[in-house]
Amino acid sequence: MSTSAQRVIKCESVYKIFGANAVKILEQSGGKVDTASLLEAGCVIGVSNASFEVHKGEMLVIMGLSGSGKSTLLRCISRLIDTTAGDIFIDGEDLLAMNAKELINIRRNKMGMVFQSFALLPHKTVLENIALPLQAKGISTRDSMARAMDMVNLVELTNCENDFPRQLSGGQQQRVGIARSLAVEPEIWFLDEPFSALDPLIRREMQDEFQRLQSVLHKTILFVTHDFDEALRLADRIAIMKDGVIEQIDTPANIVLKPATEYVAKFTRGVPRERVLSCKAIMEEYDATATMSDVTVSANAIIETVAGSVLTEQNPVAVIDAEGNIVGALNRNIMIDVLFGETNSMPVNN
Amino acid sequence: MQYFTEHKWMQFVALLVVFFALVMAIDPATGGNLWRLQETRFWLLPDVVNDGLKFLIDDFWVVETYDAELDIIEQSTMMKEFTRYLSGVVLFSINLIRELLLGGVKTVVAFTSWDFISENEWARIPALPWPAVAAGAFLAGQYLGGRNLSLLAGISTIYIAVFGQWTPAMQTLSFVLVAVPLSVLLGLTLGIIAFRNKTFEAVLAPLLNVAQTMPHFSYLIPVVVFFGIGDHAGAISTVIFATPPMIRLTILGLKKVSPEVVEAGMMSGCNSRQLMFKVLIPTARHDILIGVNQVIMQCLAMAVIASFIGAKGLGYDLLVSLNMLKIGQALELGISIVLIAVVLDRLSLAWAKKQVDYFADVPFHLRHKYSLAFVGILIFTSIVAYIASMAFPDKANYFYFIHESQGLTTEKFWDSIVDWIITNTYDSVQSFNFFMITSILMPMKEAYLSMPVAATLFLVAGTGYIVGGLRSAIVATAFIAFIALTPWWDRALITAYMTTFAVIISVTIGCSVGILCSRSPKATKFMLLVCDTFQTFPSFVYLIPVIMLFGVSDLSVLIAVIVYATIPATRYTVEGLSNVPKSLQEAGSMSGVNRTQRLLKIELPLAFPHIMLGINQTVVFSLFMIIIGAFIGTDDLGQLIMQSLSEANGMGQGIVLGLCVAFIGLAVDHLINTWAEQRKRVLGLS
Amino acid sequence: MRFLNKLATAAAVSSLVLGATVAQADSKEPIVIATHNWTSQITMAYVIGGIFESIGDNVSYVPADSQAVYESVRNGDVTIAHEVWQSTFGKSFNNALDAGGIIDVGTHASATQEEWWYPAYVGDLCPGLPSWEALNDCAELFATPGSGGKGRYLDGPMDWHGQETLDRIEALDMNFTAKFAGSSGALWAELESAAKDNRAVVVFNWSPNFTDAGDGGSFVKFPAYTDGCKKADGGDGKCGSPPAGWLKKAAYYQMPAKWPTAYKIFNNVSFTKSDIGNMAALVDIDGMTHEAAATKWLADNEATWKAWL
Repeated sequence: MSTSAQRVIKCESVYKIFGANAVKILEQSGGKVDTASLLEAGCVIGVSNASFEVHKGEMLVIMGLSGSGKSTLLRCISRLIDTTAGDIFIDGEDLLAMNAKELINIRRNKMGMVFQSFALLPHKTVLENIALPLQAKGISTRDSMARAMDMVNLVELTNCENDFPRQLSGGQQQRVGIARSLAVEPEIWFLDEPFSALDPLIRREMQDEFQRLQSVLHKTILFVTHDFDEALRLADRIAIMKDGVIEQIDTPANIVLKPATEYVAKFTRGVPRERVLSCKAIMEEYDATATMSDVTVSANAIIETVAGSVLTEQNPVAVIDAEGNIVGALNRNIMIDVLFGETNSMPVNN
Repeated sequence: MQYFTEHKWMQFVALLVVFFALVMAIDPATGGNLWRLQETRFWLLPDVVNDGLKFLIDDFWVVETYDAELDIIEQSTMMKEFTRYLSGVVLFSINLIRELLLGGVKTVVAFTSWDFISENEWARIPALPWPAVAAGAFLAGQYLGGRNLSLLAGISTIYIAVFGQWTPAMQTLSFVLVAVPLSVLLGLTLGIIAFRNKTFEAVLAPLLNVAQTMPHFSYLIPVVVFFGIGDHAGAISTVIFATPPMIRLTILGLKKVSPEVVEAGMMSGCNSRQLMFKVLIPTARHDILIGVNQVIMQCLAMAVIASFIGAKGLGYDLLVSLNMLKIGQALELGISIVLIAVVLDRLSLAWAKKQVDYFADVPFHLRHKYSLAFVGILIFTSIVAYIASMAFPDKANYFYFIHESQGLTTEKFWDSIVDWIITNTYDSVQSFNFFMITSILMPMKEAYLSMPVAATLFLVAGTGYIVGGLRSAIVATAFIAFIALTPWWDRALITAYMTTFAVIISVTIGCSVGILCSRSPKATKFMLLVCDTFQTFPSFVYLIPVIMLFGVSDLSVLIAVIVYATIPATRYTVEGLSNVPKSLQEAGSMSGVNRTQRLLKIELPLAFPHIMLGINQTVVFSLFMIIIGAFIGTDDLGQLIMQSLSEANGMGQGIVLGLCVAFIGLAVDHLINTWAEQRKRVLGLS
Repeated sequence: MRFLNKLATAAAVSSLVLGATVAQADSKEPIVIATHNWTSQITMAYVIGGIFESIGDNVSYVPADSQAVYESVRNGDVTIAHEVWQSTFGKSFNNALDAGGIIDVGTHASATQEEWWYPAYVGDLCPGLPSWEALNDCAELFATPGSGGKGRYLDGPMDWHGQETLDRIEALDMNFTAKFAGSSGALWAELESAAKDNRAVVVFNWSPNFTDAGDGGSFVKFPAYTDGCKKADGGDGKCGSPPAGWLKKAAYYQMPAKWPTAYKIFNNVSFTKSDIGNMAALVDIDGMTHEAAATKWLADNEATWKAWL
């Protein structure tokens, strides 16, 4: 990610502490969070000292097992729950300082959210569900229904618009949830385990569908999941949480290759690197004198997708960037190492 | 010792042993306060309540009002002016609907004066011809719910018209059409406030409990004093009675909405009002609609009682025909009440489920085809009615209005059935009657009356402690102690004896029928329909036939009570059994149990908490009906409540007696609920 | 609080301006007549209403409980109650009189009798009736399962005369128990079913009533009533009910001011025993509706009621 990109979400030392005395204890300690004394008072720490930024068009996946605080963090950033301490900025504006009216305003225009259990209104049709944010905004029935109909087409639910949620499959229901969250064309898109309740096959399909949508829409996304594979598949960056603490926040490749903690390593251990790493992570320096194969591979291509063609070439294969310049090379030995060699034993480019 | 603490039935046996020992030990002659509490200042409570209410309405915050007609300035109180104003608004609404259906003058008078009406005969609103109303019912049914509903609504209206019950039925309808929306709105509003404000909910909960268990008769006089007499007073007492279930179900429904749905609403940018009306209420609709159904049923169930304080209509006619022993006529009137209830219930359900077609681009005459059709029919039927009355000025005009004496009737048929039963079953009924009264009821009554206050309180406290710990013990004992402090302990024991007997029989019958029916889905559906019908059918109709069969005795009262109180026992058994999770039934079948074993070992234990709630309802229904049984002739609390209608301190006495009845119900309610909750938790059903 | 006070005053002033005419003639506001649940009372309500309408007044009817109605008359929600029976409603009526707001408008010509009563066929079952001693001798004929072998007398609701019956049974040392019926309907139901089975029964009844017509029946003859013979009045209790009880009319205290003509007529209204019997018979025996019966009575008895105008 280029640092020049616009910061959309910025969290600074965000804490969420559950418990009746949390605020009181925090006041006593002058705003400084003392974990030990809080735990002693019977408080539960939901999120602890989370600081990160999300840039425009970037997709940050928050990964963690149940109880890790990932959904809590998401709800702090969408201000569905109150943050105990810290600061959150949306487009530079202080989210926590907003009054109710400003908050409603920002939700009506900038935010959309998808929920694990779909959270559709059971007695409203698909169309009425999708139109809810538009109607809340005060758009006329005629216009909001027309717009909702566009969304129905976008998520490929055409002809289901008058069905009730109970008449749809899980995948279709979540499409409605997605359509609803996108109806007001938000900049920021929150997704709280959107595919966890679906069957594996449908989940895969929905992930593809999601990537298709994102490639068209380029939203700034916070995506929560407990599925590490899903995180790897979708994320620009991943934040791994445990007991409310962000253990590591980095690109998928770096997480797999250089897990920061033992906890993170537990997740990465079984992960096939060829599915995660791109060519640029394992390429060696380009030797202009060497005889190169006619085949070239893209630097950003995931290894798995090019392994076959590299292995069949006798000569090294050139790795090129988006502009077509050669930036490195790959040969069969490297490929064999990656595919069959020992985990973590090989050098990786940063 | 450990065995004792672990086994509740052991504790219960021990409790009973001590109880009976106390009963033996306390001698009526020398027991003093242990036997019956002696007179205390607490006995003045009815007077205090009465004086308090009287002060509020007669002396508190006196204002002067001017009577234009008499040109004098009178003293009144703010409370009186306020309640009378409220009455005026309700009465105006009732009259408006009534005069659209039946014609009249009062609505016009509200905007002009009686002098104006007397001078201008044309200003009277003419009634709609009944065929127009029937057509309207067909159309409304068709519009809201399709053909079946259309037939139900239309044919019910035709039944009412051709059986000559048009006037009373429309009077009842106009009264119900005001009371129902009022109760629903009030219930919804209070429910929403309670949902948002925990303190309010905590204050409301006990009031709801009391309002739902207090017999209606005990607050009739206060309503008359505060709101006057007439249809509005009937409507207001109905609202008091019908709103609590609506509030309860609103709170329940709102609480059941999943937090994610609420969050989805918030993230959709709803403000708190939008969140309530666009998200929470639509999502909680299932429970709220059950609430509306309950309101409709309760409003029509009140039709008869409301006539004691001036509500005209089917209820009053029913009471008059019963008093004249016209049982067939009363039955027909009762059927009309049930029909109105069923039609209104189905129409309101269909209305709530009605879908909107947002993209239909239809021309005006198609979009409004039902309204246009109605206007057309109205004009047509009015012309036909007008021509008919011109052509045959001396004859009855069946196209306009079918008078009571011109309608069809099946009265003779029903009366002859009742006659036949009375003449032909006399001997067998007499011996049954004799056996029941001398061998069961009288000994049971004697036994109850020999319960000393101290022993009873001990029993209640002990049961409370075993069921729900210290808190339950205190709550249940407090309810019963209140009764013990009043002068009516013996009366309450008689009420308790009748309730016990009625509940035992009702539950036995109800559970058996329920278990038999739950074997087949068809029978289940049928049974629930029967329950609905009987719940709305005015229970007063049973009173006279049972007297004819069993005479004026406790047995008559109890039979009428059992007919009525079996409904909830049956309903909850059927519901409880049909809600047992399928997977558990299958697990049972796979373990090789036969049908009987499956019922006894799996289904009944799992359905038991729900069935207990049914028993709870059976207790409440029994108490209500035992109080109504005072019309047959009882010597319990109900007789005194009836008597308080003519007492000088009737308001206070009625209310305190009503509280006594309510507290019996609430003590039982508390114990059963606590127990059922615990069972549910143990079974993982909550 | 002060705001509401002001509001009330303002309302009073505005109505002062609007309705400044002082009523000499009857108000056009409807006179509210209470209807209860027995035939003669309802028919009589329509008869009196018809008389008021004949002088151009408006009338409306409201169903009311026969005990609770006096509270409503006091408050002006009901204008008149026209059948106040001495022994059954006397207590409610007197309570209302004490509280104020209600006027005693005098009695009807018809005297009333309220006493133990048996249907005609019971006379054959227990020879010697109507004497109370004879009744006492065949007490076991009147036994019911709940009466413990004694004869059972079915009294009216307890609030009608309560202790009096029990006192009398005790004073006369009768082999009877009293059971209080809950409503008049319960009395008629018991009579009807007893008649079907030809069973002996003795109940509380009164005259004029619908039972006066048809086969009829008779009142039991108790030792004659003398003033103060009742236990409650300090006597020995060995006596029957007064042979001629009163049947009163009651009105809202503002009626004379608001409907002076109607009030004067109501003052004159006085039905005889046969008037009341006829009215009831039109409904109970001829099967007319209450309104139709009233119209017919008014047409047939013009001379009677025209005299009251």
